[in-house]
Amino acid sequence: MRKDRNRDGDEISDEALLSGMAIGDERAGLVFARRYQHRLFGLALGIVSDAALAEDIAQEAFIRIFRHAVVFDARRGSVASWTLTITRNLAIDALRVRRGVPTAPDDQMFLSLMSTERLPEDAALAADALVEVRSALADLPIDQRRAVLLAAMYGRSAAEIAHAEAIPLGTAKSRIRVGMAKLRQAVAIEEAT
Amino acid sequence: MSGYGEDRGPCESIRDELAELALGVLSGRSRSEVLRHVESCARCAAELEQLSIVADTLVQLAPEIEPPLGFELRIAERLQEAATAHRPRRRRRASVLAVAAVVMVVFGFGLGTLTPSHNRQPALANLTSADLNSHGHVLGEVMVSAGSPAWMFMTIESGAWSGKVTCEVTLAGGKIETIGVFKLSGGYGAWGVPLTSPAAQVRSARLIAPDGTVLASAQISV
Repeated sequence: MRKDRNRDGDEISDEALLSGMAIGDERAGLVFARRYQHRLFGLALGIVSDAALAEDIAQEAFIRIFRHAVVFDARRGSVASWTLTITRNLAIDALRVRRGVPTAPDDQMFLSLMSTERLPEDAALAADALVEVRSALADLPIDQRRAVLLAAMYGRSAAEIAHAEAIPLGTAKSRIRVGMAKLRQAVAIEEAT
Repeated sequence: MSGYGEDRGPCESIRDELAELALGVLSGRSRSEVLRHVESCARCAAELEQLSIVADTLVQLAPEIEPPLGFELRIAERLQEAATAHRPRRRRRASVLAVAAVVMVVFGFGLGTLTPSHNRQPALANLTSADLNSHGHVLGEVMVSAGSPAWMFMTIESGAWSGKVTCEVTLAGGKIETIGVFKLSGGYGAWGVPLTSPAAQVRSARLIAPDGTVLASAQISV
C-alpha cells in the first residue's frame, strides 16, 4: 500500500484517496493526481511521444479514475497498476485515432526498456516484483523482449508485430507467449521467496 | 512453466493465447473464444491471472516525467467539474461500471475504453448507455462499448425476478442474437459479455424469462 509522500497528503494511502474520490471528494482527487502525475504523464508521453497529447491523456485518465474510483477492487491488483493501465489504454486509443496504423516506436521509453542495464536502485529493492520483472525482461532474448514490450506498452497485436517486424504471425505470437511465460516465472519465483 | 504440458484438448490451444489476452492485444473472435474457455476452466483462469499480474507490472516500468507547468491547476479545474457533473445517476451507473471494471480488470482490459458518449473528447468516446425498462419502470441499465470486440454490460437492480434469464439483442435489420443466459438473484444481477456483432448494429436488448416473458427491455442507439 503506497503512502502519500507529497506536501499535503499526510500519509494517506492510495486506497483511502480512492475512497474519497468514490464519494466525489475532488480534494482527494487532487492529492492523488499530485502523487501519480509523473507516472501517468511519463507513461502517456512514452507511448504517444507528444507532450500536449500526453497531458490530455493524463488529465483524462485522472478524471476517469475519479469517476470510477468506486469500482476499484484491491483484490484484483494494485492502485498503481489499475491507474497506469487506464492511462495506457487511453494512450493507445489516442495513438490509434491519430495514426491509424501503428508504426514501430523509437521513443526514449521504448529504447530505455529495451536496454539490458539494471537501474542502480534495483539492487536495494531486490524483493520487489517490479524489479524482478525488469530484471527478467532484461534477460529475455531481444526478439522476445521487443515483442512483449510492443504488446504491453503500445498495445500492438501479434499481427501488427508480425507486420512491423516482417516475421510470420506464428513467430510473433510465440515470442509474446514465451517471453511472457518467462516473466511470469520470474514473478512466481519472487512470490515464493 | 505452466505444468499443463500433459494436457490435450481446448486448454492446449487456449494457453497459447492467454498471454495476448492478458496484455489486452487479442482481437475479436479469438478473444471471445478464450474468454469463454477461461470462464469454465479454473486452471486457465489461474494462468491468466498470473499473466495479468505480469502485464500490470510491465506497465509500471514506464519512467516518471514532470508534466508541463500548470498541469495541477488544470486537473484541479477538471476534477471540480467532474465532481459536480457526475453526481446525477451516480449509483446506478457505478453499478454498471463495477461490472465493466471487474470484467475488464480480470481480462486485462483496464478501463481505457470506458467513456460516456457525451464525453468532451469524442475521439476517445465509445460507450453508450440506455435504461432497462419494464412497463414504464427503470429496472437497470445497459452499456454497450464499441471496441473490438464490442462489449455489453448490464445491471438489474430493482426487478422481482430470481432465476435464469436470457439476454437477447436485436440488430439493425431485425436479426435477433442471444447474448447469454444469466442469473438474477432477488431482482439483482450484473454481468458483462463480449458481443459477436459490431456495437453500432445493436438496436435493443431484452431480458427474457424461461417461459418467454419479456422481463425488461432497452432501446439502444450507438
